[in-house]
Amino acid sequence: MIAPATDVLAPLPVAVPLLVGTLLLLVGKVLPGRLPDALAILAALAVVTIDARLAAHTTGGPLVYWMGHWQPRGEVTLGIGLVINEAEAILAAFMALLFAATFIFAWGYFEDIRALFHVLMLIFLAAMQGFCLTHDLFNLFVWFEVMSVTAFALTAYRLEADPLEGALNFTVTNTIGSFLILGGIALAYSLAGLLDFGALARSLAQHADDPVAVGAFCMIAAGLLIKGAAIPFHFWLADAHAVAPSPVSVIFSGAMVPLALFGLGKIYWDVFETVPPVQLLMRTLVLGLGVTTAIVGGVACLRQRHLKRLLAFSTISHGGILLIGLALPGPVSLAGVLAYFIGHGLVKGALFMVAGVLLATAGGIDELWLRGRGRPVWPAGVAMAVAGSLLGGAPLGLMDSGSRLIGAAAGARGEDWILIAVVLGTACTGGAVLRGAGRIFLGLGEIAGEEARGPSEDESEKPARPLWLMMLPVIVLLIIAIGAGLPHADETMLGAAARFLAWDRIASIGPIGPATAAAVPAPSHPFVPWLTLGLAILIAAHELGHAWLPRSWSRTSRRVLSGPVFTAIDRAHDGVVGDYVVWILIGLALFSVSSAAALHAG
Amino acid sequence: MTRKARLLVAVLCALVSAPAIAVVIMHIPAFGRHPLPYGDAINHTAGAQRHVTNMVSAVNFDYRAFDTLGEELMLVAAVTGTLVLLRGRRGESLSDRAAQAGNRPVCERSEAVTLACRFFLPLITTFGIYVILHAQLTPGGGFQGGAIVASGTLLLYLGESYRLWRRLVRSRLLDMLEAAGALVLVLCGLGPMARGGAFLQNVLQLGQTGALLSGGLILVENAGVALAVTAGFILLLLEFLEETRATCEGEGP
Amino acid sequence: MRGRGAVSFVPWATVAWLFAVGIYGVITSRHYVHLIGCLTVIQSATYIALLSVGYRFGSVAPIFYTRPPSTPAVDPVLQALVLTDIVVGATVTALLLALTLQVHKKRGTVNPERLRPMRQ
Repeated sequence: MIAPATDVLAPLPVAVPLLVGTLLLLVGKVLPGRLPDALAILAALAVVTIDARLAAHTTGGPLVYWMGHWQPRGEVTLGIGLVINEAEAILAAFMALLFAATFIFAWGYFEDIRALFHVLMLIFLAAMQGFCLTHDLFNLFVWFEVMSVTAFALTAYRLEADPLEGALNFTVTNTIGSFLILGGIALAYSLAGLLDFGALARSLAQHADDPVAVGAFCMIAAGLLIKGAAIPFHFWLADAHAVAPSPVSVIFSGAMVPLALFGLGKIYWDVFETVPPVQLLMRTLVLGLGVTTAIVGGVACLRQRHLKRLLAFSTISHGGILLIGLALPGPVSLAGVLAYFIGHGLVKGALFMVAGVLLATAGGIDELWLRGRGRPVWPAGVAMAVAGSLLGGAPLGLMDSGSRLIGAAAGARGEDWILIAVVLGTACTGGAVLRGAGRIFLGLGEIAGEEARGPSEDESEKPARPLWLMMLPVIVLLIIAIGAGLPHADETMLGAAARFLAWDRIASIGPIGPATAAAVPAPSHPFVPWLTLGLAILIAAHELGHAWLPRSWSRTSRRVLSGPVFTAIDRAHDGVVGDYVVWILIGLALFSVSSAAALHAG
Repeated sequence: MTRKARLLVAVLCALVSAPAIAVVIMHIPAFGRHPLPYGDAINHTAGAQRHVTNMVSAVNFDYRAFDTLGEELMLVAAVTGTLVLLRGRRGESLSDRAAQAGNRPVCERSEAVTLACRFFLPLITTFGIYVILHAQLTPGGGFQGGAIVASGTLLLYLGESYRLWRRLVRSRLLDMLEAAGALVLVLCGLGPMARGGAFLQNVLQLGQTGALLSGGLILVENAGVALAVTAGFILLLLEFLEETRATCEGEGP
Repeated sequence: MRGRGAVSFVPWATVAWLFAVGIYGVITSRHYVHLIGCLTVIQSATYIALLSVGYRFGSVAPIFYTRPPSTPAVDPVLQALVLTDIVVGATVTALLLALTLQVHKKRGTVNPERLRPMRQ
């Protein structure tokens, strides 16, 4: 049984950041110097501690907490419940940690608005905690919306043309996503009459073949996939992450996008898993979208010269791999998702901070313009190389744990072909980052004439922060990414995953049975990480070594790279919001056709 | 894509999705005739349990108060976000002139407009406060009443001058009121925990059904929401009205 | 259909129609303020969707100030959800309008087809 003392902790991950945020809003203008920064860091660290405590205490059973003490009345759940499992608490703790690192990185950055940045970020943090821990469908939507609103405002901080346009694209597409989720909620409520996950699951199990249930899932899934940047809903991400201030991009790529994908997993396992056509949709459509996203994101990543846009496409690619993990059934792939979520968030966060360091010290973000200019800040170069190797599949750390577990899950189902997508996506993104590191910090990879065409706008970020302060969170994040992959990580994740799947759905309304963790699976193809890393290094070396390759080779490779597929990908990302909305419609049509097929097959 | 291409693709998508949408619509439970367990449970018990007569307010401020907390903080975030986006010195001086749109002349206010505004402002404000205060009794509440009062202050700008509007509407005070309103709501959540209750549990005296002071914590939450919404919306209006002023030299974004 | 009159699909057809009209406006818009208005139209579709789920024939509003609490009433939960939805709409509209204002100042245009970030 859970000690009653921990019961009281359940609403605090949401309440503490909101309390500190509103206090900062009230008195922020009169607080001296850097006190708002310090308070924000303390608040984030407090949330980390609370979440870690909750994770430690939920190994024996989930914590069910009813807001306002509204216990269910018979079959009807009257209030909003939180169900905290170990898996959710671990993810929530990680996200709070990322926020703490961001606050340190952003120390003194936002001079124009001072405490207002921290207010927005703390509300963002609270929303993410709420999204992760809630067990009520509409409450999930409310926190989703709070996350979105704070993100929209933070993206356009720099008030120049590119950030504003990027923010507009972001806002319009994600708002349409919110409307889709609301439509899905209306459909689900019309069937079930209740909003609690457990009650919904029980009710939908009785409507197992109803098209309305499938329709509800499709709409909610589409809305979440827009935020989670799966193809064909991903177009806004490259624009938004490239122009947002670096501390904000850390949170977007490291936490917000993967959290939306995990949210999709949550509503699938907690609500819709009892509907067979939806099961089929997850195994086929969502899996297919994940595979496509991983590959296309990786390929597009290689073609970028704007460092933050490159990282944004790599987020899309890794989001695709997360989606693959979510689509595969069973605790092994979920454990992989948990490890990958945290590992990727840490590494991507560190990379965006390195980009911020470059913007602050070298005064630019175009990879070609920066060639060789990174030498004065060589610690950032080391970090970037390490992060690039981790991203590219190096066999150590949390990201490797994650991809190994997901690969094992795919292998166990005989779907080894999925590994090809994982390998391709990982190798392309790792290769792109390694190429960037080599070019910026070692001065390799000169391309005659290319450097004259600089980025579209002069970019720079506030230079007045000391290098050690900016590098400190980078180093901490990378150490955790590598070090937390030590021996027991796999078992912890497997245990957390098994317990989540066994308990999360029914915990709010019924008794829970035992949950057995699966054994750590032997890696099905132990050479895969080395293959991926080797491929990544090969790609980087190829791009950097143009000067030493024979003339004919570089000419053919240039012709291939300007081929129809690649230019089509480039042209699709044209920045026009109307086109992005049309792609959303294409995605919705895809969902409609697939659900019709799934209903027919069931 | 060109506009025509976009439209073509959109129509194609609509045609492809139409059968699925039609199937879903045909299977939706009968309009007006399907069971509503959650709604019925609240309609039948909330009056007795919380001594209120407005079920929607009971849901908003008691049963699903956690949603309202999120919603309130979203409003605060949006207002803060707008403040961040429209930061700049434009319009902060009392003597700023109205900006001109193209060749259109800037007209003088007519006395009829001023008279009408002076007549309606107290009426609207009173009505808004009435709506706020009767949250738990009749349709209304903090959100609705707050929006009414905030929109009413716009009559100050319409009927009087920008100068008077800026003199009476103080952004510093409004900032603090908005933050205070949000803080009240958060404390309504944490407060009951200090007395051993759950987050946002209604632990105050419930009063008599139908009285102005009934509903317990619902009243306090309603007041917090009203404060935050009023101040927030007036701040939004303030920021947008600032943008109607003409720019001077060296004014920033 | 499940033994009900044809009236049943009217609210949902309205929802679909409003959504289609709004999306058409967003796709073909030439002015960002118009686009924001079209988003508001799509929002109205969600209001109607939520409210029509909660309706019940022969019921009154869930306000029992002058009526006994046992009077059949519509679902108050959905009305609370729509209230949240309205606040969401208002806040996002405010942010979008602020962004549009600033873009107009920086670029001189608010035509969505001419506003392309990262023109590489």
